[in-house]
Amino acid sequence: MAFNPKQKILIVDDMSTMRKIIKNMLTKMGCNDLTEAEDGEPAWKMIQEAHEAGQPFEFIVSDWNMPQMSGLDLLKHIREDERFKTLPFLMITAEAEQSNVVIAVKAGVSNFIVKPFAITTLKEKIDKIFP
Amino acid sequence: MSMLQDEDMAEVVDDFIKESKSILDTCEEILDEFEDEEDPALLEKFGQTIDRIMGAAKSLEANTTGTLTELGKTISYKASQSTDKELLTIVGAILFDLVDATKRVVNNIELTKEEKAHGLNLEAMKSRFVWLADKFKNIDRASVAIGGGEAESQESIDNLLKNLGL
Repeated sequence: MAFNPKQKILIVDDMSTMRKIIKNMLTKMGCNDLTEAEDGEPAWKMIQEAHEAGQPFEFIVSDWNMPQMSGLDLLKHIREDERFKTLPFLMITAEAEQSNVVIAVKAGVSNFIVKPFAITTLKEKIDKIFP
Repeated sequence: MSMLQDEDMAEVVDDFIKESKSILDTCEEILDEFEDEEDPALLEKFGQTIDRIMGAAKSLEANTTGTLTELGKTISYKASQSTDKELLTIVGAILFDLVDATKRVVNNIELTKEEKAHGLNLEAMKSRFVWLADKFKNIDRASVAIGGGEAESQESIDNLLKNLGL
């Protein structure tokens, strides 16, 4: 399934600056249905509510290190729920360690991107998730 | 022209300054608490907190801020696993200096859109961290990583992902 820029995307990061940077990049790629969450905990709630309202998120872009619920825990919650088993999930992190990548892949991450990154890297990752 | 001076990024940079100042205040509060309680777990909390600035700083090409916060994160995570009270007291003092230096750099971004802060001796700070890094050389975990190990580049991460089927 090719990437549709009109799809509903959730950006999860506890740093508002990072959310804006990601939002700017996605907007430049033609995306306009962008929602922000400031931690994994509210994000998990928003994902469930959006699904129940019949307007589910179609792509999650999430930071790893967040104070209330980490990106990894958010990913685990998502994959444990039958409704979201295949929901594309891009993990963004400053933690570029092999052990983290392996753990995220085992938890079902769709792809992994290391901060800082350019719009071209983000696009490449999205193209890999939506071939 | 760096991203810090790019007019299109002005709003993001302003947000970054505000958020960073607030996070650095929190870092100081954690260090105050650490000074009173001497609980190494507070250093892990410090590392998690200052880490929030690092990714955004590097993304905005605020490289001095990025490096300072990365140093703070690395040393605080390592120190949180140490039981050497004397050394931990030194770590606390050095981290106070690091937070102060980072605040000065961030203030300079606000005033001049550049990171260069007058009178800030980054070389001296670097040598203190090199000294500390040597003291903690046997401690692996330097981040929120669940395992241990060295940081990888995006390229090596991509190779790893490829090998894992992504």
